[in-house]
Amino acid sequence: MPLTIALAGNPNVGKSTIFNALTGARQHTGNWPGKTVEKKEGLARIGEQDVLIVDLPGTYSLTAYSIEEIITRDFIVRDRPSAVVAVIDASNIERNLYLVAQIIELEIPLILALNMTDLAASRGIAIDVTRLSEQLGGIPVIETSGGRVEGVEALRTAIAGLAEGRHPSLHIPYSPEIERELAVLSEATAQRLPAEVAPQPRWLATKLLEDDPAVLDALSEADRRALLDAARAVRKRIEAETGEDTETLIADQRYQFIGMVTAQAVHRPSQVVVTLSDRIDQVVTHRLWGVPIFLLVMWIVFQFTANVSAPLLAWVDAFMNQTLYGWAGRLMGAVGLGGTWPEALLRDGVIAGVGGVLVFVPVLFFLFTALALLEDSGYMARAAFVMDRVMRWMGLQGKSFLPMIVGFGCTVPAVYATRTLSSPRERRLTAFLATFMSCGARLPVYVVFGAAFFGAQSGHLIFAMYVLGIVVALATGLVLKHTVYRGQPPAPFVMELPPYRMPRLQNVLRQTWEHTEGFLVKAGTVIFGVSAVLWLLMATPIRPGAGAFNDVPPHDSIFGAVSDAIAPVFAPAGFGTWQASGSLVTGFIAKEVIVGTISQIYAVEALDEPAAPDVTVPQEAGEAALGLLQALALTIQEAINIVPRTANLIPGLSAPELQFFAEATAQEDASRVQAALLGSFSESAGSPEAGRVAAVAFNVFVLLYVPCMAAVSTMRQEFGWRWMWAQVAYTLGLAWVAAVTVFQAGRLVFL
Amino acid sequence: MNITLGAQQQTLTSKTLDQLAAGQMATIRRVSGEGPLRRRMLEMGITRGTTIEMIRRSPFGDPIEYRLRGYHLSLRRSEARLIEIEL
Repeated sequence: MPLTIALAGNPNVGKSTIFNALTGARQHTGNWPGKTVEKKEGLARIGEQDVLIVDLPGTYSLTAYSIEEIITRDFIVRDRPSAVVAVIDASNIERNLYLVAQIIELEIPLILALNMTDLAASRGIAIDVTRLSEQLGGIPVIETSGGRVEGVEALRTAIAGLAEGRHPSLHIPYSPEIERELAVLSEATAQRLPAEVAPQPRWLATKLLEDDPAVLDALSEADRRALLDAARAVRKRIEAETGEDTETLIADQRYQFIGMVTAQAVHRPSQVVVTLSDRIDQVVTHRLWGVPIFLLVMWIVFQFTANVSAPLLAWVDAFMNQTLYGWAGRLMGAVGLGGTWPEALLRDGVIAGVGGVLVFVPVLFFLFTALALLEDSGYMARAAFVMDRVMRWMGLQGKSFLPMIVGFGCTVPAVYATRTLSSPRERRLTAFLATFMSCGARLPVYVVFGAAFFGAQSGHLIFAMYVLGIVVALATGLVLKHTVYRGQPPAPFVMELPPYRMPRLQNVLRQTWEHTEGFLVKAGTVIFGVSAVLWLLMATPIRPGAGAFNDVPPHDSIFGAVSDAIAPVFAPAGFGTWQASGSLVTGFIAKEVIVGTISQIYAVEALDEPAAPDVTVPQEAGEAALGLLQALALTIQEAINIVPRTANLIPGLSAPELQFFAEATAQEDASRVQAALLGSFSESAGSPEAGRVAAVAFNVFVLLYVPCMAAVSTMRQEFGWRWMWAQVAYTLGLAWVAAVTVFQAGRLVFL
Repeated sequence: MNITLGAQQQTLTSKTLDQLAAGQMATIRRVSGEGPLRRRMLEMGITRGTTIEMIRRSPFGDPIEYRLRGYHLSLRRSEARLIEIEL
């Protein structure tokens, strides 16, 4: 069995830098079994052998209140790694040593990686490494500041030296009355547990004194109860004797121990040094500037996910759905399968499905980069600090704001953006509400309907839809806060404001890649599957004689039959036609598909496929490559344009925006589709005026119903099936009620 | 009855952390409250005898930023109210 080393430490101490320095490229990211917390493992070459390094989640402590803490504790207690490397921030040594003290109590070989010593030095803090090691029972203490080579090499040597496995010969000393009771409880614990189950009776006894009964989960009910009763009696006795509860006493005394250690080993300046970080905060969290700066940062993140990603998204879309689509046709034609169902499966099923997954890659790349920059720099905590008061009003907290903003671009990255929240309840609620923000894919629907039914006033419809999404999110948050979550105390907001740091490019890119890969693997498979199934439904005739497989009018396919069956449900909302319900079904793939389906179904004649026999494959490949270069150029253009676009937010200013290429003037003849839409909605609603109300109801439904399968499968990946179905049910129900209300009330008011 | 009254009076007269003005320092006397919140505050080093300085309020007045043990911590006002201090 290879050696296993666990990396533990507080959040924001540079643990991942050390992990990367130790393992290089040989690492793997997954999830902890049954948890949504990321698990990182890697192999490090140490001496002559490969050592498995497990990066534990960043935690402040080892109690059982957060998933991260339980994972960390269970891993150390149950998996018994050969040693733990505790990474600590030298500039903030006292609070970091609290976790170390708890690891010492687990009686496991321990190495201290003293990180960020340069930051400590800049604040005038000097640490005597030898003394620190002495005070902590002789454990190795290695300076690893900034992931520098010498530090990492020294750490490797120390890990190699721990192969024989010594744990620090040290007990955290407690006051006489606690020591006395600890002895009693450890005795009782040891009696009930065989040594291989409870190798550390003193640690178990400490946990019992701290009223942390989760450590007894492995015991039989009778033994458990006996120990819990004993612990309760002991806690009462201590409380009667000292007038303090044991939890406070133990935390106090751990910090007293830390105080003794640092008094010997740490020299602090008598005056607090005002750091650059402090000066930045004077502006960034300023009473007046704090909010504008926050809004500016959010705006820039939104620009990146919505506009800067757009050219690459368009390129991926065109490459998959035109170039590759065409090539697949040529290929199948060349082998004599042109126009057959295998061709359609490959093109409309496989290529369209893969394309539907890949279009998200540019968006997610920019989002994950932005998130990593915000987190690593330390700004995320400030954003939460500034916005907490406002977000709490709707049952959320400060960090919930960013996912909401990202939701205006795309719901998928918005759901991922909730990863920065630590409380599972607030995370789910944030993701849930973020789906009501009008994402970029809903906009084309508003535009088409606005143009068809409101002509020059189409902007009113678009604006109303955006506002309605925000109102529904607010209302849902408020209602949940006062019903489902009523009486539940808000999750603690005790939050560290870490010093600002320059993000490391390597860490940022690595995180971005890992998260994007996670999406491709997990959400991607679901999206792909749903696309294929939908293709199958559209290709299969509902009855013999209605057409051949893959050559059937939409209305005569299984898809058409399903749409027909659903249609009456929407009659009270004024759009109970199979065309409308069919486009809503396809809208589940992605909401912008609604527009495509509408033009396909409503357009009187089928569009001929553009035949271009004189273009060769190499020419197309050349065009695609050129298109990619152009898209990259446009990406840079859009990134630069953030500056004038931001300046233009100030009324009266109009800074010019860069434009590398002349705007392609795509003038599609939409009038036929518009006329068909008008006719169909007027007919189903009863009159042209009612048709207009029905069109608004339809848009309300599009805004509120199940975001799209990409968002839904992301919800499943992040929160599990139960929450996914809860969301699907709620959004469908709410959308229907809202659409019916709009149509019925609209008819009463306007007709 | 008298004991309860006495205890109430004591909590009424003692100062809590949310009453500090920016730049003001205090010493922590006791952390009341219960459950995960109190434990988290203890773990973060809010223990008896610790010196704590109020840095600033958030632009909307809540939460509040403090400095203790050489690092910066943000607490909601409702959380700071659970911490008894002496000046």
